[in-house]
Amino acid sequence: MTEQKPTSNAKVDQILDLLLDALAERQAARRPAATPPVAQSVAQSGAQSGGLRHASEPAPVAQPSGSRPAPEPAPVAQSSGSCPASEPAPGAQSGGLRLASEPAPVAQSSGVRPAQQPAGKPPAAEPRPGDPGWTPPARQPSIQLDRTLGRLIVLILALIVLMNIPVTRYGVSLARILPDATSIIIRDGLVLKGEGDQVYVLEDNKLRWISSLEAFDLLGYRWSEVHEVDAAFLAQFEQGAPLHILLKCAESPHIYRIEEGKKRWIKDIATFEAEGHVWEDVRLTSCAYLRTLPDGVPIPADAGTPPQP
Amino acid sequence: MKDLAVIETILRNRYHFFAEIKDGQGLGAKMRAMLISSVIFLALYGAVLGSSHSLWQSLSSAAKLPLLFLATLVISSPTLYFFNVLFGSNQSLTQNFCLILTAITVTSVLLLSFAPITLFFLLTTANYQFFKLLNVMIFAITGGVGVVFLSQGMRVVSAAGKEGARARGSVMRLWILVYGFVGSQMAWTLRPFVGAPGLPFELFRQLGGNFYANIFASIGEVLGFFVVK
Repeated sequence: MTEQKPTSNAKVDQILDLLLDALAERQAARRPAATPPVAQSVAQSGAQSGGLRHASEPAPVAQPSGSRPAPEPAPVAQSSGSCPASEPAPGAQSGGLRLASEPAPVAQSSGVRPAQQPAGKPPAAEPRPGDPGWTPPARQPSIQLDRTLGRLIVLILALIVLMNIPVTRYGVSLARILPDATSIIIRDGLVLKGEGDQVYVLEDNKLRWISSLEAFDLLGYRWSEVHEVDAAFLAQFEQGAPLHILLKCAESPHIYRIEEGKKRWIKDIATFEAEGHVWEDVRLTSCAYLRTLPDGVPIPADAGTPPQP
Repeated sequence: MKDLAVIETILRNRYHFFAEIKDGQGLGAKMRAMLISSVIFLALYGAVLGSSHSLWQSLSSAAKLPLLFLATLVISSPTLYFFNVLFGSNQSLTQNFCLILTAITVTSVLLLSFAPITLFFLLTTANYQFFKLLNVMIFAITGGVGVVFLSQGMRVVSAAGKEGARARGSVMRLWILVYGFVGSQMAWTLRPFVGAPGLPFELFRQLGGNFYANIFASIGEVLGFFVVK
């Protein structure tokens, strides 16, 4: 135990020596960079003449008379008493950490703070709008903004009219000319047309083909409701039952299904029901009109020659 | 054209304008000029918005957009006035009204300045949700600038240096929130302004949902998370 004590004391001394050496080296390295003797004298004379100062230069606060040379530049951090000497002065912007012996950087490199202003006190704030003593800034001269606005109004009005004038044979205006597949609100009753001639109605997320123009008209759709979309857009929906229109005339017992401009004779009631039709689907028209429609394949296809209404 | 001169005064000599309101100089003429200007500007921007759907939607939005702002003004201004009076303001209701109208006028003239941009996007994109969000953003920016003007004006007119100025400042900030909520709910009630493609023209759409849920849904669709049905 007694033999180990001198060894440990020697070690402590050694560590302390190393620390002191390191501290001394650090101070030596800092001193010439911060205030070289020649630069310091120049800085002091500059401070007396009141020119712009670097942050590392001596503070003019420490030399109030201007004619008397400053004995030791007093750090502002110390004079204000708000922080310890080893702490950076509050005005420091570019100097980094400073030792207590270094001059305080009161004069900022930007030169915003006046040299005679005491450190620590904020500058007197100008009155804000509405405060007592506030006066509005000088009135700006007119730039005839009303005329510019008048012209802008006319221009926008003209553009609005131009955008709403129909430019296609379907009555589509310039503002609505782009295909709107990406902007469609998907809902029941949405009328869609792909790249072909087929027109579909969306019902329960299924596409129902409208099999004829007659069906389109009689079901109450309008061309302005039809949205032209890409095939890929249509492909995302399942196919539902087609929407047919069934026509008959008063003078004939036969019922015809209209598909793509042709009339398809439905052979009998069993076939009619098997096709999923109901009597409410049958519309009356004139026999003369029915006769003008060309015959399509009867339902079923082997039903024979279709009778004329 | 004479009424449009008020815009230059507001934009370039705003503090003189506020000082005149504070002194009660020509309040009637000022309000008339601001009302006419803002109705013209808002109607034009409304027409631009509705053009994406149909001519009827364009006309409808031209009528509804000024209505939206003026109704919001009428609904919200008494709250601001009485709370300001409570905290020591000496301004009259007319001055208060005039100040809020200044904010609306600033918003409307900025909206008009955005009209060419809106028309450009109307022509070059067909994405309804994007167009809707673009307009929400434009309204937010212009409305924000408008309330900044209102805040500055309120400071001048209600003599900020006097007692209760801080409380009135807080009232102003809270009122801006209330104004935003009332405005967005009013917009939701008076919709559609743009008009969804695929839906027929409607003067007013059935109530249901709310403004914020709809905006979040639109953001979701624009970002590709889901499709608004």
